Amino acid sequence: MSPSGKRSASFARLKLRSRGWLGSLLLAALAFGFVVPILWMLTTSFQAGDRMYELSTVWIPSAWHFENYSNALSRSPFSQYFLNSGIVAIAVMVSNVVFCTIAGYGLAKFRFPGDRYVLLVILATLMLPLEVTLVPTFLVIHGFGWLNTYQGLAGPFLIDAFGVFLMRQSMLSIPADYIEAARMDGAGELRILLQIIVPQCLPALAVLAVFSFRDNWDQFLWPLTVVSQDEFRTFPLGLVRFAEDYGSPPTEQLAIAVLATIPTVLLFVVLQRAVNRGFGLSGLK
Amino acid sequence: MTDDKSSKPESKTGNFSRRDVLSITAAGALAAATAPISRIASAQAKKPINISFWTFENPQQRPWVHKRVNMFMEKNPNVKVDFQYFAFGDLGKKVSVGFATGTAPDGFVSQDWFMPTWQAKGLLAPLDVQRLGYSSLKTFTDDFAPAFVAGAVQKGKAYGYPLWFYGYVNYLNTKQFKEVGLDAAKDWPKTWDQLGEVAKRLTIKEGNKFTRQGFKFAMHTAAWTMFQFNAILHQCGGAWFDKAGKCTINNAAGLKAMTIRASIAKQYGAEDPADSIATGPLPQMDWLKERASMFFCHPIPPAAIESQNPKMLSEGYFRPVQYPGVQAGKGYTTTYGFNLVVNARAAKEKQEALQDMYKFMMSDLGDAWKDTAPFPPARKSGWADKPEVKKFPYVDEIIIARDRGVALPQTVVYNELGDAVHKGIQQIMLNNADIQKTLNEIAAEVDRATAAFKPT
Amino acid sequence: MPGLFTLGGPRRIRFHQRVQLWGIGFVLPTILFFAVFKFGPMLWAVGLSFMSYDMMSAPTFIGLDNYRNLVADPVFRASLFNTLVYIGGSTSLITLVGLGLAVAIKTRVPGARYYMVGMFLTNLIPIIVVCLIWRFLLHPHGLMTQLLHPFGIQRVDWLTNSSLALPAIIFVTVWRFAPYFMVVFLAGLLAIPEDYYEAARLDGANAVSRFWHITLPLLAPTIFFVVVVSALLSARIFLMPYFMTGGGPGNATRVLSMLIFETGFSYLKMGQAAAISVVLFAIMLVFTFAQMRLFERGELKSVG
Repeated sequence: MSPSGKRSASFARLKLRSRGWLGSLLLAALAFGFVVPILWMLTTSFQAGDRMYELSTVWIPSAWHFENYSNALSRSPFSQYFLNSGIVAIAVMVSNVVFCTIAGYGLAKFRFPGDRYVLLVILATLMLPLEVTLVPTFLVIHGFGWLNTYQGLAGPFLIDAFGVFLMRQSMLSIPADYIEAARMDGAGELRILLQIIVPQCLPALAVLAVFSFRDNWDQFLWPLTVVSQDEFRTFPLGLVRFAEDYGSPPTEQLAIAVLATIPTVLLFVVLQRAVNRGFGLSGLK
Repeated sequence: MTDDKSSKPESKTGNFSRRDVLSITAAGALAAATAPISRIASAQAKKPINISFWTFENPQQRPWVHKRVNMFMEKNPNVKVDFQYFAFGDLGKKVSVGFATGTAPDGFVSQDWFMPTWQAKGLLAPLDVQRLGYSSLKTFTDDFAPAFVAGAVQKGKAYGYPLWFYGYVNYLNTKQFKEVGLDAAKDWPKTWDQLGEVAKRLTIKEGNKFTRQGFKFAMHTAAWTMFQFNAILHQCGGAWFDKAGKCTINNAAGLKAMTIRASIAKQYGAEDPADSIATGPLPQMDWLKERASMFFCHPIPPAAIESQNPKMLSEGYFRPVQYPGVQAGKGYTTTYGFNLVVNARAAKEKQEALQDMYKFMMSDLGDAWKDTAPFPPARKSGWADKPEVKKFPYVDEIIIARDRGVALPQTVVYNELGDAVHKGIQQIMLNNADIQKTLNEIAAEVDRATAAFKPT
Repeated sequence: MPGLFTLGGPRRIRFHQRVQLWGIGFVLPTILFFAVFKFGPMLWAVGLSFMSYDMMSAPTFIGLDNYRNLVADPVFRASLFNTLVYIGGSTSLITLVGLGLAVAIKTRVPGARYYMVGMFLTNLIPIIVVCLIWRFLLHPHGLMTQLLHPFGIQRVDWLTNSSLALPAIIFVTVWRFAPYFMVVFLAGLLAIPEDYYEAARLDGANAVSRFWHITLPLLAPTIFFVVVVSALLSARIFLMPYFMTGGGPGNATRVLSMLIFETGFSYLKMGQAAAISVVLFAIMLVFTFAQMRLFERGELKSVG
């Protein structure tokens, strides 16, 4: 290669790289725009209580008021509310992981009369979210005597159609030979599910778990409808009452908001690799 | 300490302060001295009763109610009360759904404007006035303001034991009055025009940003919208409904009233309906944080002022005055209050235990005043002549407001009415909607609700 | 060998039947669950929509009165209109912004991965927290307005102006959901073989034409999926208007789900609320049909 050719190649690389940095900068600005409200929440939750009322934004508090957190927690029984939200979210998550997996398996790998319609029927429930069936679902839960109970809070969400579909899709590509071979070896169906199928669809399970937790950790409308006892309030109900309450400082409302954000973020961080694969993002380095 | 001590929650079992413990001990000693030993023994042997009881949230009132409930349980170990509370605007809705699903509490604090709704469906049990300590229904009714008893007594029976009863007053920031050369004691607004003029003088603006609003109407919930507007409507000679039950808010008097309601912002430019410091919550905060000079509010306890603005309390630069009037000296406010009521479906022994509890709660109104002043109890006897009441700053203004005030409408579609008026006022104040047209829309919406209501 | 055949036949059938039964058994809990919590309630709602029912006295049949009342009710008409505007606005913006972000991330500029994770954070925050933050930021003098100060704009009534309130809520919705769909799009983009682009590049196609002629057609199923799913999500919106504007000013941000809740649980008109549910159901039906056709065609590889 001639020296001049070398130079022009490295120049092109340089140009490409500088364009990359420019793009990176632009994208960074965009991403920053998305993150700003979250940063605002974080920093403001440490501001002095009255700072908010001046309605100007100061990014670095002149003094960090960590006591906003303890004050907020002691003003209203938030530990109970968080516990309730956690119980509901974890119960729903576990139930979804179990039932969506077995139903997904049933749909992906078994043929039985009407199997095609079963999938359609399950998917049809996507047009029946709680917002649509609120009144009769309330009457059902009331009929069960489940108002003001954990089972009443979690009940309508224990199986999610999307979860079933997700699991089915992730199982379709598992070769039928594996299953047949295991059957021939005399393995029970449950053992096949646990030892052959589940390990193959862990990324999908991680996606299911994260989003099931996220969607149920912050339930609002349903608890609002079925809960009338403080013992069963979820944190969004507590936060709304706290925010509408007589004079709970905005900084303390934001402290609760920060605490409420931690569990979902933690779960996501823990399962992040699997979630990435579940989304089909492993190609992105 | 700038923290609002009073809004700290009590634990379920009740954290008594030393003062509380002393007063319980004293009450116990008194009971032991006066009651025959045998009665105490039999009380302890009574079969257990579990009662559910709901009330509304307020940083002073709710803890006092809770304290009295706990004290009652101490004295009556066989009675266990499940105590729940809700945001002020949610209580009535939660009780309705509770009644509908059989999960209503055995007893609750009812906001008085909901009494017709409960009574139309026979949901409340009549009270035994003798059990409450009155010799007859007459002595019972005589012990309360007539305007309030009207809602609690129906067809010769009492359905509610009135707890608190009060009206809105106009709270002034006297320091800000002085700043603009006004003397709050003399120059407080007596008519709506004066309210506008004074508010305009007190207003400070930087461009289109209000640094200080001269006056502020509440915009945040239907409940407050109704309290504040009801009196204006009456002052203008208006009424919510005619005899046939048709909504008449859109007649000439209603138009006049709504024009007054809108004038402070539109004519005088002395308030900003869209600007409240913390967006959603109580606009009362704007006054407490000195970003509004005047505000219509229920009696504000000193603890509530101290928690938000200790200096305002310690230097005492505030005072309540009467509502403005259409004519000077004829101003009056909206009054409302709370009844202790019993669910008609509660078992007999629960009904009795609840009434015993209500009697006990109301047996020491001095204690109520100590914890919740200046919220005036509804009862005439047993508190007003106490020295701590008489020496409370501006207590007269609060009593006068209460005694001259008009009640909220007695209607079974109160929720619908409140929401319609609230939305209408938003249209007028924030959307610049035509007042007459909006009033017509409100009336139509309320009439539709009335037509759809079918009493059982 | 006939002997073997007669020996193996019945056993094989029994075996298959057994397997079939397992399959049905795996699916059955889900079917039962949906019968109790989805289809039963929906049928009940349809029935209730012909009744007057306050939950205290027995329901009475009133024919189409609830629907007639709805047609005559300006609050319902406004809520229906708002719901449709909201669905249209947020769905189109979520799709555009999500796709744009995904294409940007896929350029693999330095740090793209971290930017993606950062943006995805908006999706992990509880909705109530989203509402709380934005109610502060959208105060007339809040941070969003402060950002406009350099342009001489001193005040914006984001949530209290009736023509801005719904767009403001749509904006918050896009902030919350676009990064999620960005990830879905990104997965779709990564599934497109790199060779196609190489070939196009050799043919001298520029970036824009590569996008039009390769990316878009191959991404069509994903785009369709995102449109349908975000439309279904938007149709359910409740908490954002409930908390941020209370449906106001006036009825400017009232949506059908809020009206259902109000009518049922504030006014105890369960029949009327059920009739509104049926309308909301009809809206969702349209999108779900579209979605089911998509699922049936099996064109979708990655969903989340």
